[in-house]
Amino acid sequence: MHLVQLLINGLVTGLIVALPALALSFTFAILRFANFAIGAMLTFGAYTAYVLNVSVGLPIVWAACGAAVVTGLVCVATDRAVYRKLRGRTPVTLLVASMGVAFFFENVVRMVFGNAIRGFDVDVARPIRFGELRVNHEQIVTLSVTVAALLGVWILLTRTKLGRAMRAVADDPELAAVRGVDSDRVIAWTWFIVGGLTAIAAVLIGLDGAIEPLMGWNYVIIVFAAAILGGLASPMAAVAGALLLGVTEELATLVLPSTYRTGVAFVLIALLLLFRPWGLFGKSRVER
Amino acid sequence: MTAYLLTIATLVAIAAIVGLALNMQWGLGGMVNFGLGGFYTVGAYSCAILATSGVSPLAAMLLAMAICAISCMLVSLISLRLSEDYLAIVTLGFAEVVRLVVLNEAWLTQGALGISGIPRPLADRMGSDAYAVFFAAFALGVLAFVFFLFERISRSPYGRALRAVREDSVVAATLGKRVWWLRMRAFGLGGIAIGAAGALHAFYYTYIDPGQFGPIITAYAFMAVIAGGRGSHRGLLLGAGSVMVLLEGTRFVKDWIPFLDAGQLAALRLSLIGLGLILLLIYRPHGLLPEYRLQVKKPDPDPDFAAHPPARS
Repeated sequence: MHLVQLLINGLVTGLIVALPALALSFTFAILRFANFAIGAMLTFGAYTAYVLNVSVGLPIVWAACGAAVVTGLVCVATDRAVYRKLRGRTPVTLLVASMGVAFFFENVVRMVFGNAIRGFDVDVARPIRFGELRVNHEQIVTLSVTVAALLGVWILLTRTKLGRAMRAVADDPELAAVRGVDSDRVIAWTWFIVGGLTAIAAVLIGLDGAIEPLMGWNYVIIVFAAAILGGLASPMAAVAGALLLGVTEELATLVLPSTYRTGVAFVLIALLLLFRPWGLFGKSRVER
Repeated sequence: MTAYLLTIATLVAIAAIVGLALNMQWGLGGMVNFGLGGFYTVGAYSCAILATSGVSPLAAMLLAMAICAISCMLVSLISLRLSEDYLAIVTLGFAEVVRLVVLNEAWLTQGALGISGIPRPLADRMGSDAYAVFFAAFALGVLAFVFFLFERISRSPYGRALRAVREDSVVAATLGKRVWWLRMRAFGLGGIAIGAAGALHAFYYTYIDPGQFGPIITAYAFMAVIAGGRGSHRGLLLGAGSVMVLLEGTRFVKDWIPFLDAGQLAALRLSLIGLGLILLLIYRPHGLLPEYRLQVKKPDPDPDFAAHPPARS
């Protein structure tokens, strides 16, 4: 295949991962634990959108918005019910709890909807051709939605009071508390944003491929790889990590069967942890 | 009924061995292993491949244990210098890679077809009824061996050093302990046990395919460790037993809710495990039988002293 075509496909694949990677590094930066439930939240978001789109009959845009709100609220509720009760325990306890949350949500979805593969109710459009290059309708949607969402997050982080508070809590929670930042409120909003971003990405994944109970699980390693590439705790770097990962994965299909996508992500994680554990863009810092 | 009980005994023994391994790695060593299922697959497949290609079953089992221990140590090496979060993702990634390799490299693993006709140790010496009893005893024997071995290790100086690393690796390093080597050995010890469990799995079913190695293995082990009390091997046995009773109990749910099919029932079990994990972490963080601690008897406080502490000079 044409190299430029691979590059385009890779960037779009990366963009899909960018939003959950951003969400993951938000939870890591502000709540200080690795949230393994990110995959289950993707699945949950996709099925919520599916119900709104196919069963209720809303157009896909409104279904996506609805799914973002519902998933955001569910994330806030999960935090109240689970993570808040474990705050102050070791990060490992929270991480194991997030695995429990993942098992719960994923299998509730599986119990209700079964293992059948589903798809959104959308019109299929013919790919657009530029000379030899082919660009899918879904790729354009992914590009515009992701860029818009990223812009929104960037404005939120840099231009609003909430964003400033989020960065303050991420930087130094005690100092933020001394300065009068209400950390519970910041955490609730963080979860809401995390859920919303995850659901939007889930709709994009569902448009690009299919909706099935394992769809989120298959993205866990890839999302983590993207976030670790960016240095785990720096949200915007996670986006760059995601793009890089997408391109690497597409280029790897030149030498490896495409079934080994997750394998490529794993090798990247391993190499990175061995040689640059602080991420590609971060600064060297002693971690323990 | 006897056949059912023997089946349950064998399966509990295999699952409890995996639980003991996780207890070694996570309970004692503080290292989360989300890739248990992957290492278990490595154990089962290496045992099956070796045994079907002419190695004697017991030798194949020992080799599978060695292969599993070595892969555990190599995987842990990737992130031993870093915090535990990274090890969790590395082990999970490894398990995914194992799954992909088993599915796609048909020349080695027969892919989705699976490997059949795995020879069992000493199977030609007795009839099938006697063999079921023998195999349950064999699995329980391996469990007992691993249990006593790990119990010894956790009370040895090495076990104490490992717990020190778990509590605070910087302090342990300051005291001159080689943190990465202690951790890597704990991971390898766990690997030996997982390899044994995987081999027993291959022998028990005599047929393995990728579908048998789902997330339930990892979920069950975590549930057993948390229910039993992290770091306590005796608690783990209790935890593994009670989790199995709970899960077997869900079989009877089918009688009440007849419209659940097999897949939904499996999903119900996993979501119950997830819920159980969360509730235990929140409400019973130390489990049923808390971990062994070296106890120093404190002298009884002098009642007068406690009531009227002298003013500090």
